[in-house]
Amino acid sequence: MTEKILEFPEPAIRSEPMLLNLGPQHPATHGVLRLICELDGETVLKVTPDIGFLHSSFEKLGEYRTWNQIVPLTDRMDYLAPLIYNCVYVMAVEKLMGLEVTERCKVARVLCMEMDRIFSHLLWLGTTAIDVGAFTPFLYAFQERERIYDLHEAYTGARITTSATRVGGMMADFPDGWTDSLRDFVKTLPKTLDEIESLLTTNGIHLGRTLDIGVISGEDAINCGFTGPNLRASGVDYDLRKDNPYYDYETYDFDVPIGENGDCYDRYLVRMEEMRQSLRILDQALDRLPDGPINVADPRVSLPSKTDCMNDMESMIHHFKLITEGILVPAGDCYFAVEGSKGELGMYVVSDGGEKPVRWRIRPPSFVNLSVIAKLAEGHLVSDLIMINASLDIVLGEIDR
Amino acid sequence: MVDESGSAFDAVEQGPKASGDPTGTPRDSDGDPSGHPTVTALQSWFGSTVLHHEVQAGDQHVVFVDAARNREVLKWLRDDPEQRYDLLADVTAVDYGGGKPIQIVYQLWSVGHKRALRVKCELPLDGLTIDSVVQLWSTANWLEREVYDLFGVEFTGHPDLRRILMPQNYAEGHPLRKDFPLRGRFSRAEQTRRALSQDYHDDYTPESLEVGGAPGLAPPEPNRSTETAEDKP
Amino acid sequence: MGLTDGESGDHLSLAEVDALGQAEAREGGLLGFGSPTFLTTKVDFVVNWARRNSLWPMPFGTACCAIEMMASAASNFDLARFGMERMAFSPRQADVLICAGRVPYKLAPVLRRIWDQMMQPKWCVSMGACASSGGVFDVYSMVQGIDTIIPVDVYIPGCPPRPEGLIYGLMMIQEKIRGESLSDHYGLRAEDPALVGRPRAGTEEVEALAGPFGNSTQQERLSSLAQTTRPERSEDLLP
Repeated sequence: MTEKILEFPEPAIRSEPMLLNLGPQHPATHGVLRLICELDGETVLKVTPDIGFLHSSFEKLGEYRTWNQIVPLTDRMDYLAPLIYNCVYVMAVEKLMGLEVTERCKVARVLCMEMDRIFSHLLWLGTTAIDVGAFTPFLYAFQERERIYDLHEAYTGARITTSATRVGGMMADFPDGWTDSLRDFVKTLPKTLDEIESLLTTNGIHLGRTLDIGVISGEDAINCGFTGPNLRASGVDYDLRKDNPYYDYETYDFDVPIGENGDCYDRYLVRMEEMRQSLRILDQALDRLPDGPINVADPRVSLPSKTDCMNDMESMIHHFKLITEGILVPAGDCYFAVEGSKGELGMYVVSDGGEKPVRWRIRPPSFVNLSVIAKLAEGHLVSDLIMINASLDIVLGEIDR
Repeated sequence: MVDESGSAFDAVEQGPKASGDPTGTPRDSDGDPSGHPTVTALQSWFGSTVLHHEVQAGDQHVVFVDAARNREVLKWLRDDPEQRYDLLADVTAVDYGGGKPIQIVYQLWSVGHKRALRVKCELPLDGLTIDSVVQLWSTANWLEREVYDLFGVEFTGHPDLRRILMPQNYAEGHPLRKDFPLRGRFSRAEQTRRALSQDYHDDYTPESLEVGGAPGLAPPEPNRSTETAEDKP
Repeated sequence: MGLTDGESGDHLSLAEVDALGQAEAREGGLLGFGSPTFLTTKVDFVVNWARRNSLWPMPFGTACCAIEMMASAASNFDLARFGMERMAFSPRQADVLICAGRVPYKLAPVLRRIWDQMMQPKWCVSMGACASSGGVFDVYSMVQGIDTIIPVDVYIPGCPPRPEGLIYGLMMIQEKIRGESLSDHYGLRAEDPALVGRPRAGTEEVEALAGPFGNSTQQERLSSLAQTTRPERSEDLLP
């Protein structure tokens, strides 16, 4: 008996690519992002992100606000890591002014930035896990975030929109016991991270959803402008804390995790490890937090004390001028970038000597990271597209500004 | 310089320098090019194309380049082995207002050499066109689209130059220009009307509509009538 | 064309709605009885109890307030105890639209469409300063309060409001539902079925919404599409 290979005739149905619109209101787009997908069945042929659904014209608004009034605006862009934005903005202005902050302020800002890096990564972890289908890590991650919310609130009065920095220092010094609470948090977070890792890192479903998904090579990644954990997952060792250090980061002992394959799983691993490394930095920073004033006593930015104001006329006038006119920043421009939780976060401030900026430009890491999604998602399935979107860790507030 | 012997009040008074430069850009005195290896190399390679060099904010080197040759200069900066500025951190524009030229600003970073450089090109308000650098760095794709959207600068050679943050039918102009008012040019009522009466064709590019089976539609125009599909027979 | 003009086109004025309600009541009301009776109030009680304790929120979260909304849904503040843990991302399955975050003009038609796709009975919560009035953003791209586009029941101030604030707002919705009656719910929320659920708002509707309004932060102005009665309560009931 001969084996007959069954042959099926070519189907008479003509198949065409399908246009699928995801968003802007969609649970898995992590914000008001619209993805216009051209699909061949389930396979993504082309995806075009459409942004601008959260455009709040921060940059224009900044031109109408004095230098210190811009600080509350910075919280509302990346609402997942507000302290990082607060810090980088005033760091850019201080660099333009040639203003050196106090040692205590430097360490305090390192504390704030690393704490918010963990804050942002925890939310990324929770929402990415939900996208994979795991609800429990979301609850665990948010429970830990509640502790950071409490720290934010104890320090600044607000849970998310902290507005903690001012040009020349911080809004206030840490309250009593705050550093102890932070230390407590640093000691207990690893246990939760271990629990979440045990749920995800070797989980077959998670591995199946993230291994070899959304691969990008190192050179492509640099050319496309990837920065942050996304870039490091592709094997490129670029971390602004090491390569262009600020605030004595070169004196802290920490490692920068580098991935190998540039897929979603590597991005996941890099961020998990980054959280642990941030805990190391927090530990060291808490040890070295010096006493002293938190605000620099530079007359260009600092208000004189109330006692002085009440006692001599010049301090009173100084106080009056600084409050009504605002601080004045010398003419020039400055681009200052830090390693934000999502990548290279840069602030470009241009001044003409006045109390308001001429131009305030935010270089948002997520904006550039998202532009690569078309390249990453080609040829993958729709569910992989969701996973890639989640692994990029985008926040629409900073993309649309 | 803060006068230490005077009162704090004087220090505040003395603080900033005013910008009285008629060409618009606050120029420090020419910086010392030897502080940055790229600047010396650039000046020797490109000579007069490099219009000006300055140092801002203490140690940030800024190079002003002739806008007509920006792509050439940036290509050299990316490819020359001594420079290798492989990461384009940012492309943005600055409008100083008052009729002054708009500056296009490129922030470059070399991952290998760990160096930064800022390259600026000035464009007169009646000639807001410059070559796109998308072929050099893919990063520039969206960044240049944003500059087009918010400033109205046209990038020749850009594959997809359309609005990115504002709606496609946005008719009020280019928001980040200094002559654009904060609350927009139309009344709130008109803005609401235009927002709510966007034709759904505005949402999709013609290419996407081809895929979706509705080919041959013209690209969106700003002054669309407010008729909707159901008003048509 | 504005809120105060009660005789405009096909929009029902407050007087007409009242008259409708009474006419309905005269004709026999919703259950065939006349004015509210013992039976209808009991039915109301049960229906409202069921509705308010199983609200499915539609989280239209855009910005920072969305994060506080997620925090409310998480373990510490737990919306599940109100029956709201099932966040309905499909508007067809949702009861309460929680607009959390700023809404630019590019997003406005999307919000309108989502609201239209939700089925009666539905309520709307405007969470945060930006959704209620534009917040910090009195700029060219920002809708100055979503009540210019959709009718809002509860406004929650804050930037962002604490999760307790969101919960308080949701409990106010529950209070509002408790006070409703079947016989006048649909009168309150008269919607022309032909006008809802289509891709874009019709010309007249858009004209109505875009009717010139003065101070953009005026909160009393609800959308003139749905003539909801202003809550007439002598005190702000605490839950």
